[in-house]
Amino acid sequence: MDSVIKVSNLKKYYKVHQKDPGLLGSLRSLFRREYFEVKAVDNISFEIDQGELIGFIGPNGAGKTTTLKVLSGLLYPSSGSVRVLGYEPFKRQSEFQRQFSLVMGQKNQLWWDLPAFESFILNKEIYGVPDDIFKKTVTELSQMLDIEDVLKVQVRKLSLGQRMKAELVAALLHRPKVLFLDEPTIGLDVLAQKKMRDFIKEYNQKYKSTIILTSHYMGDVKELCKRVIIIDRGMILYDGSLSAIVEKFAPFKVINVDFEVAPDLDRLKKIGKLVKYEDLHAEIEVHREKAAKLAGSLLSDFPVADLTIEEPAMEDIIRDVFNKSNLLTEV
Amino acid sequence: MSKIYLTVFSLAWQNEFVYRLNFILWRIRNLMRFFLTFFLWEGVFTTSKQMFGYSKSEMLTYVFTVILVSALVQSAPSADNIGGEIGNGDLSNYLVKPLSYLKYWFSRDLASKSLNLVFAMVEFSLLAIILHPVFAIPTKILTIAAFLITISLAVVLYFFISTCSRFISFWAPENTWGVSFIIVIFIETLAGSIFPLDVLPENLKNLIMLTPFPYLLYFPTAIFLGKISSTQLPKILFIALTWVIIMFFFMRYLWGKGLKNYSSEGR
Repeated sequence: MDSVIKVSNLKKYYKVHQKDPGLLGSLRSLFRREYFEVKAVDNISFEIDQGELIGFIGPNGAGKTTTLKVLSGLLYPSSGSVRVLGYEPFKRQSEFQRQFSLVMGQKNQLWWDLPAFESFILNKEIYGVPDDIFKKTVTELSQMLDIEDVLKVQVRKLSLGQRMKAELVAALLHRPKVLFLDEPTIGLDVLAQKKMRDFIKEYNQKYKSTIILTSHYMGDVKELCKRVIIIDRGMILYDGSLSAIVEKFAPFKVINVDFEVAPDLDRLKKIGKLVKYEDLHAEIEVHREKAAKLAGSLLSDFPVADLTIEEPAMEDIIRDVFNKSNLLTEV
Repeated sequence: MSKIYLTVFSLAWQNEFVYRLNFILWRIRNLMRFFLTFFLWEGVFTTSKQMFGYSKSEMLTYVFTVILVSALVQSAPSADNIGGEIGNGDLSNYLVKPLSYLKYWFSRDLASKSLNLVFAMVEFSLLAIILHPVFAIPTKILTIAAFLITISLAVVLYFFISTCSRFISFWAPENTWGVSFIIVIFIETLAGSIFPLDVLPENLKNLIMLTPFPYLLYFPTAIFLGKISSTQLPKILFIALTWVIIMFFFMRYLWGKGLKNYSSEGR
């Protein structure tokens, strides 16, 4: 199958001017500006097939949004090639624009003072959606997101969660083949996040659309995406399945033990890396292949009350990945 | 295709009615402006019958007509929004859609103008009844036709000029207030919104006539008042049209340049 999105050796550098602190610095910057170059995206390549739901993760300023903007045609690449559905996005051809949608969690495309439904009507005309399909899609999507009863309420009166859902409906009216979601759950409460995730998942399965999602919340990615691309400082640190991250970056498991009486700590340290010990509770990191054997010797040699073997938390692994990449660039 | 912009037009009307208080206050502001201008010139003309070649009734007709014409030409929400949307990056919302950003704002402008015109007519009649000033309303078909043509050109020209000035945000996203202010002052005076331009010394007047600004308010008004002879008309229409074409291409040029900058920097 041909890939829907193909990015090779994409670079995007910006020039940013810097200002010395204080009023004097401001005055000086009026006359002379010093520029420095920011490598927002630095030589990345990836391909995405139809129907994939990809998670883009990375800290603030990693280059996630920049990449999405290049894919949407808002930014043109400094170098490298980008194809989405066979088009060069930055040419902004209307045949291309009719087939994708970009939703930015921090930007608002609905008319603020009018009910969301009015903005839907405008999008219907912009994308040339036929009446019957429009009605069907609005009903269906707003049912899935549970916002049918607020479509006729002024957007400004909606809660953040309701507004984001309405934004999403507006962006999906023309049934885009490709969907870019930039922080779609930002600022939402846990319940609204959940609803949003369920919707994205269902939408992806039902319409076989290709979705790229960026998020700060590991929860979003963990629940939705089989494949993740981890990006930091404009470079891809990892591209592959979520489950394989664990094996690649965390070759250990964590044994949680509760003791009946205080154990001999020196002997305990020989089992594995003692991460934490307090109130008769210990967390020990051990090599994943040896986990079962070591747990056995713990049970036989120590006064154990309870014992579990766990995968390390995804959040911790990702944080480790970023920390390591920082070390690499600082050396 | 054009249905998109009809929908924009309709949404823009709905939008205007959302804030009832704001709407009413705006109408009151317009009425106040009529009254103030009326009493100002009443005062000026107490001492003399003629001033700058204008009689009292001619001057009153001029300033009242200018207010009506500017209600049509200068009411442009695009002027309040384009700069900001470019500066804060909201422009991106439009750029990813198969939609013309400039046509979109022009449609919104037309919506605002039409609404403004309807209400200005009502207010105008109200004032005419209260103050009953003497007006000279044109009767010749040629004058009316020429007026309608120049005012259409003025509407388009105003959009082009004001949009060009807002494009400065492409290069200076942080602030376009200063620029907006200068533009408003320019238009208000050079276009003839405060006094008829033939009040000015000959040299200065000739200089101003070389700019596009008099074609925004002064000429439509002067034509309406029959101040322009039919031999001068073709020349004025021709120059107005030329300005429209020049500013159109200038706007397109700046838009292309600006977008290039926008998509290399991003916001």
